[in-house]
Amino acid sequence: MQLDRIGVKLFAVEPDSKFDIRSFIPVFHSWIQRHSMPDHLLIDVHDYSHIHHGPGILLVAHQANLSLDQAEGRLGLLYLRKQPLEGALDHRIATVLTYALQAGRLFEPEGLRFKDDEFLVFANDRLNAPNDENTSQSLTQATSAALSRLGRSGLRVTVNRSSPKERISVTAHK
Amino acid sequence: MLWKERLHIEPQLAEEIDVFETEMRLRKEGKLDPKVFGETRLRRGIYGQRYDNGHRNNGVRVEDLHYPNPCLTKGPDTLWDAPGMQRIKIPFGGVTPSQMDTLADLAEEYSDSVIHVTTRQDFQFHFVQIDDTPDLMRRLAAVGITTREACGNSVRNVTACPLAGICRDEAFDVTPYAKACSKFLLGHPDTQGFGRKFKIAFSGCAHEACGLVNMHDMGAIAVKRVEKGIPIRGFELYVGGGLGSVPHQAKLFTTFLLEEELLPTAQAIARVFARLGEKKDRAKARVKFLVARLGIEEFRELVLEERRNMPEDSRWTNYLADVDQAGRETPLQPPSAMPLTDRPHGFEDWFSTNVYKQRHDGYVAVNVTLPLGDISSWQMRRLADIARRFCGDNVRTTVEQNILMRWVSEGELPELYRQLQSIGLGDPGAGTIVDAVACPGTDTCKLGIASSRGLAGEIRRRLATNALQMDEAVKNLRIKISGCFNSCGQHHVADIGFYGTSRTIDNHKVPHFQVVLGGKWRDNAGSYGLAIGSVPSKRVPELVDRLTQRFLKDRKRGESFQEFVQRIGKLELRDMLDRCSKIPSYHADPSYYSDWGDPRVFSLGDMGVGECAGEVVPVVQFDLVAAERMVFEGQLEMDRGRYAEADALAYRAMLQAARGLVKIEFQDVPEDPEIIVAEFRRRFFDTAIFQDQYAGGKFAQYFFQRHASPPKQHSRDQVHRTIEEAQLFIEAAYACNDRITARRVGAAYI
Repeated sequence: MQLDRIGVKLFAVEPDSKFDIRSFIPVFHSWIQRHSMPDHLLIDVHDYSHIHHGPGILLVAHQANLSLDQAEGRLGLLYLRKQPLEGALDHRIATVLTYALQAGRLFEPEGLRFKDDEFLVFANDRLNAPNDENTSQSLTQATSAALSRLGRSGLRVTVNRSSPKERISVTAHK
Repeated sequence: MLWKERLHIEPQLAEEIDVFETEMRLRKEGKLDPKVFGETRLRRGIYGQRYDNGHRNNGVRVEDLHYPNPCLTKGPDTLWDAPGMQRIKIPFGGVTPSQMDTLADLAEEYSDSVIHVTTRQDFQFHFVQIDDTPDLMRRLAAVGITTREACGNSVRNVTACPLAGICRDEAFDVTPYAKACSKFLLGHPDTQGFGRKFKIAFSGCAHEACGLVNMHDMGAIAVKRVEKGIPIRGFELYVGGGLGSVPHQAKLFTTFLLEEELLPTAQAIARVFARLGEKKDRAKARVKFLVARLGIEEFRELVLEERRNMPEDSRWTNYLADVDQAGRETPLQPPSAMPLTDRPHGFEDWFSTNVYKQRHDGYVAVNVTLPLGDISSWQMRRLADIARRFCGDNVRTTVEQNILMRWVSEGELPELYRQLQSIGLGDPGAGTIVDAVACPGTDTCKLGIASSRGLAGEIRRRLATNALQMDEAVKNLRIKISGCFNSCGQHHVADIGFYGTSRTIDNHKVPHFQVVLGGKWRDNAGSYGLAIGSVPSKRVPELVDRLTQRFLKDRKRGESFQEFVQRIGKLELRDMLDRCSKIPSYHADPSYYSDWGDPRVFSLGDMGVGECAGEVVPVVQFDLVAAERMVFEGQLEMDRGRYAEADALAYRAMLQAARGLVKIEFQDVPEDPEIIVAEFRRRFFDTAIFQDQYAGGKFAQYFFQRHASPPKQHSRDQVHRTIEEAQLFIEAAYACNDRITARRVGAAYI
């Protein structure tokens, strides 16, 4: 499956009610100043905190969009790949997950931590990865392989059943 | 498989997109001139965005953004790889649930999962890679949407009152006419040679605001006449309106244009505009300038002559055969009455502001409030499902950046409200003071000076908690904010309008907003307000409080905000502004020196110099402040009906500002206007030092023009415009002084 637009969401350990996510706007700006994300051209920060269960605070990079996302009312760090990656699908998922985890660690000094035993992985490409059984199998297998690559083979991968209109996703969890 | 192979697209649309994809390839291969490709791209709705020149001030320094293809451009000074904006035309704002689903998908896959509704009923995606646009366009085309001519020098989205067809006051439904006009002019050979854009709007009545006819290049208001007992449809037609930096009220072209003459007249206007409109100077290239230059009588004659000579076209009238059928919408549910019980918490407030009773018994239209005009993909997909259940295809966008669900059976309102609430779209306050409208401003627009969205968001947050308890007079005020003088946020027609500007205080730049009062939203944007002074951005919410409290306290019975502003006078208002104009020093409180939602120390974008310790030129500042004061005094004279005095003050204000700049180089410049103009021209205009990056020399031309050709007769309209031009000239002088200061600081560092 030729899927490059891969998304990974890490979930916040603390409840989102603890944070005013707008307070993280300066944090993203500081990442731009310090070039905190290797291999990424960080461009700008955008405030979408006014949107219910929306993208929250968005950091736009050439390679990906990162956001303190509030989808389904769960605060998390979303890494959404926009540019192609090398290797097989499991390798690409592992790369995206690695970037997401790197970004997540950058929030630790700010008191925001993300769970390391639960991730959402999804395909942001309805052409190459339609929400059907074939994609579901491929994504599950590739995500499992990616977790093994990263030494997290203890996590199980479950398909999230959703409307065919939604993007296909799997959850890695204990 | 590719989207191109998978989708079923109308052949002509498919071919157009294929052609654009080929043009992209040619540009990448260096076989297409960047300037030509730039206009081609714009005509496909693909706009540049902030930082697409490859530079960005990160708050500490200006940095180069190292995109993968540093030499490949998609227009002059616009890098190929930089993210851009995609505008999507939605004629008359009409959108269906299946189109909403597609928009949701595209925003997720190619943008940032947010769909933005504009002040002209379009949708916009931001942060889009140009390489994704052909597929994006194909997927839109597959659901009947084109992005063609959404930007560029073309006929832009044809807008219409979102209540058309259900309105209690309209003469008739303008929807089929707006639709026909949009279709007829799209890609028409006579609309391809404009020097600038051309905007059209339709309204079903004269007295409401919905169509905003008076601020359009061409505006049509539905009028019905009875002749020999037979009702005849036609339009009161206006031309030459427009906002922009200097707004023009549209001029009446005819009081009654027969419906069958609508399309040929629009075509004739397009031909005259293409033939005689300005081409070289973009600042003078809109229809409003052509109408002003020729006078409405001559313009009308030229159009009518053109109309007489045009070859017949069956499309002019073919659509009229089923105009009633074409406009007819089918309600999804039978009419019903509102239940007396089972009303959820918050329902009454929402009902009072967001529900409009249609002229059809048992049906209502529901205004879905979108904060800052934004809706996420997740919300849009669910809103599409809600529409499928409650109103079917009868959905429209509004110029106040909301979404209107029409033909909702009244009895279903409580359940609809519950469902909207469940996706975070059940906020009350549509069309009230809390529903502030803003253009993208510094968030994404290259022209933005201050953060219009940031300010709108802050005002919204502060007012949301008590807006519904406010007195009706205050609650129904409208706030509209633009990030610069170009008025995309429609600040001229708001009760309280703002546009972004900048001032230097304590050797630092400070985001400010000019305060525009006296505009009229009703009567199709009936009159334009004037800027009466600027306030630091962070103190604007306080000013809004003061203005509204004062209005509430001193308002006479039945008095509108415009009447109140007129009655208490600009001196009083200016005094209120002055109370909000001071800020602490940078060291005491640096928060005033950054903009809303942006912690970076404020700067005018990519000037190349940090914000620290700019060298101040006190004499210039003094002159510029004096010039501003004169413009303000000019407004007072205008309000007194002393137009000649007002005009003279506006002119003197420009002289004062120009003299201030000249004094930087020539301290003893005499007060003789001829010498000031000559020196200003030689030192600042001919050298291009005064020229704005985007507006070029147009603000200086205002000055030269007024100096060379004083008006022979004075009218309110003329003086209003001269005052507006003087204010813009002064703003440009401030910006010029900032550039000079920055250059000096840079030189000092070297």
